[in-house]
Amino acid sequence: MLSKKIGAIGALLVSATMLAGCAGGGSNGDDGDGTGTVKMVAWPGPEGDAMKKVVDAYNAGQGKEDDITVDLVLLSRQDTFSKETALMSSKSSEVDIYWTASYNVGQFSPSLEPLDDIDTSNYFPVATEGLTYNDKLYALPLDVSNHFLLYRQDLIDGLLNDPAAVEEYKAISADVLGEEREPADPQEWDLDDFKAMSAYFSTSTNPDSPTQYGTILQAKNLLYNTMIWNDVLWGYGGNWAEDGTATLDSEEGKKAVQLYADIYTNKWTSPDSAQAEFPETQAALQSGNVAFAMQWSAAFAALNDPEQSPDVAGKIAIAPVPGGQTHVHALSVSLNKYSKNKAAAKTLLSYLATTDAMTAYAEAGGIPAMPDVLSANESLNPAFGKVSESISDYGYSEPVFPKTFQAYSAIAEALSGAWVGQTPVDEAVKNANESLQELLD
Amino acid sequence: MAQTLAHRKKNAAALLLSVPLVVFALVFVAYPLASGIATAFTSKSLLDPTEAFNGVDNFVSIFAKPAFLNAAGFTALFAAVVVACEMVLGFGLALLFDRKFPGKKLFFTLTLLPIMIAPALLGIMFRLLLNEDIGAIPALLQSVGLSVSLFSPSSVIPLLVVLDILQWTPFTFLIIYAGLQSFPRELLEASSVDGAHFFRQLWHIVLPVLKPVLFAAFFLRAIDAIRTFDVIYVLTAGGPGTTTTTLSIYIYKVAFEQGDFGKAAAASLVVLICLLPFVPFIVKRIASTGMEGK
Repeated sequence: MLSKKIGAIGALLVSATMLAGCAGGGSNGDDGDGTGTVKMVAWPGPEGDAMKKVVDAYNAGQGKEDDITVDLVLLSRQDTFSKETALMSSKSSEVDIYWTASYNVGQFSPSLEPLDDIDTSNYFPVATEGLTYNDKLYALPLDVSNHFLLYRQDLIDGLLNDPAAVEEYKAISADVLGEEREPADPQEWDLDDFKAMSAYFSTSTNPDSPTQYGTILQAKNLLYNTMIWNDVLWGYGGNWAEDGTATLDSEEGKKAVQLYADIYTNKWTSPDSAQAEFPETQAALQSGNVAFAMQWSAAFAALNDPEQSPDVAGKIAIAPVPGGQTHVHALSVSLNKYSKNKAAAKTLLSYLATTDAMTAYAEAGGIPAMPDVLSANESLNPAFGKVSESISDYGYSEPVFPKTFQAYSAIAEALSGAWVGQTPVDEAVKNANESLQELLD
Repeated sequence: MAQTLAHRKKNAAALLLSVPLVVFALVFVAYPLASGIATAFTSKSLLDPTEAFNGVDNFVSIFAKPAFLNAAGFTALFAAVVVACEMVLGFGLALLFDRKFPGKKLFFTLTLLPIMIAPALLGIMFRLLLNEDIGAIPALLQSVGLSVSLFSPSSVIPLLVVLDILQWTPFTFLIIYAGLQSFPRELLEASSVDGAHFFRQLWHIVLPVLKPVLFAAFFLRAIDAIRTFDVIYVLTAGGPGTTTTTLSIYIYKVAFEQGDFGKAAAASLVVLICLLPFVPFIVKRIASTGMEGK
C-alpha cells in the first residue's frame, strides 16, 4: 500500500516536472505582412485615456489606409508593469506594443525590439536619451513627466509685501539656516529657501502661519518618490554614480536626505507624509493646508481647475524645483521582440512619432514629449510652456542601466526610513549606496 | 468470479471519478509547485531569461541581507497579534449572536460586510478615509479637538493591525458561530442543573467541544495573515523603509520590482518549507473530533 502511494506521488511529481519542462520557449517573433490587428497595452488615467482617443482616431482614419486596426487594452495602473513583466518572462507574443517608461526600459530591453529606424527628431533629446540603452533606442516617448514647485501665489505675495512678515521670516531663516535670509520669489529659490520657507509656513515654528504645514514631502517607500528626492540630490550637485561607482554616500547625498529629515522631524510637513505620494500631495495643496510642494507636472491643471480645486484654483503658481534640477522621464511605447506582427506594429509606432499624432494626444489631455507640439498648444494646458522650458533648460535623466528600475526601488527602500527620521542618515545612505553598487555591478 | 468482476468495475469507476481531481492537482498544484521549485534553483530574471541552473545561490542571496528575515519577523508578529485578537473577538461576537435580540439579522449582515470587500479596495477606502487633509475620520476627530496622524511611523503598525482585525474578525466570527449552532444544548442545560456558572460552562464545555472549529478558524486565518499583502501594500508599500514589509510584499518586490524570479521563487520555497511542519499538527487537531469513534 505504501509503495503504491509512493509510486503515485512520484508519478505526480514526474508528470509535473515534465509539464514544467514543456513550458516556456517561444520564438523571436515574426514581421507579419504589415497589416491586421496590433494589440497595445496602456494604463488607465490621463495618459491611457489620451492614447485611447489617438487610437480611435487612427482606427477611423490612417489605420484604414494602412489596413491596420489597433486594439488598445487598458490594464490596472498599479499592475501594468507587473503584468507586462509576467508576459515578458514567458516570452509571450500576446501583446505587440508594450507600455514602458524611461525607468524600466533597460530592464525590459531583452524582450524589446530596437526602434532605431524610426524618426525621433521631433522629441526632446533628453526624453529619447532616457529610452536609449547600449546605444539602441528601445521605446518612443509618449507622455513626458517632470517636477515643479507648485506654490500659493497669494501666500507668498502676502509674505513679500508685509514688512512685519519679512522680519519674522528673516528671524526664522536665521534660526533654521544659521544665516539670515530675505524672502525670495519662488522662481529663484534654492534648497535653503525651500527649507526656511517650509519652517515659516508651519505652525510648529510660526504659530501665525496661514497654513498648518509649509510643504508636503512625498516620503512613502515608493520608486516614484525617489525621482522627486533625486531633484534635491541633483540640486545639491550630487548624482547616483560616477564612472560606475555609486556615490549616494557623498556629502551631497547626506545633505539631500538630511533636508527631508529636518523638514519631517520639525513638523514642517505632516507626519502622514511618511506615506504620501502624488494623490496625498494633491490633496494637501487642494485643501489649503500647505503653502507649496514639489509635485509632478500633471498636477498643475487640476489645481487651478475651480471644479476640482474650489479652495485654491487661481491661487496656485508654478516655478522650477528649488535647486534648479528636475528629473525627466517619459512614459513610452515599445515593440515586443516576440510579437507576431512587428511590421504593422512599427507602422503604428512611426505614426505615433509624428507631430500630428502627438498634437492629437495633447488635445486629448496628454503631455507629449515634443517641444514644438507643447509650444503650439499652450492654450490647451497653461503648464505646457513651463514643461517645455524646464525640460529643455534644466531637465536631467538618471543613468540608464539594466537595473535602473530596481535602483529607484532600492533607494526608496533604503532611504524612506531616514527621510522621516526613523533611520540615521549615515546608516541609510550607506545601505542605499551598497544596494545601488550591487545593481550597477 | 462475479465478485471479482464487480470489484474491478468498482475500481474502474473509482479511477474514472478521480480523474478530475488528479487533473486539477496536476495543473493547479503539482505543476506550479514543480515549476516554482525548479525556478528557485535558476538565475531566471527579466535580464537573464535563460533560466540557467545556479545551485543554491538564490537561497544564499536571500539570507545574505536582513531584508528577508526582517520581513519574516514582521509577518510573524503581525500574524500572531491579528489572529489572536480576531479569534478572541470572533468568539465573543459568536457568543453575543448566539442569543435572540431585536435586529439580530440586520446586525448579523452588517457584521459580515467587511469580509465581502476586496482587501485592496479596503486599503484604498481607508487611504481616503484617513487622509489628514480630505479624510472623513481625521475631520471628525478634529471636530472634537483630537488631532492624530495615523500614517506616521509610530502609528502606522497599530493602524494596519486594527484594519486587519476590522476586516477579518467577521470571518472567525462566522466560523465559530456556525460551530455554535451545532453545539449540543443539552450539555449546557445539564451543567446548569448541576450549578455550573457561565464561565465554568465556557471553559469546561463550550471550548472543548468547539476545539476543532476553533482550530479550523485559527488555521485559515493564520495562513491568510501570513500571506497578508493587499491592504499593507496599498497603504504603506512596506515602508517606511522596510518597517511594514511582509513576506508577500518582499516576494512581490523581488519578483516584480527587481525582476528576479529565481530569488522570489527561492524565498517562496523557504516560506513553504517553514510552514509545512505546522500543517499536520493543525489538521490533526481540526480532524480530532471527527476521527474519534470512527
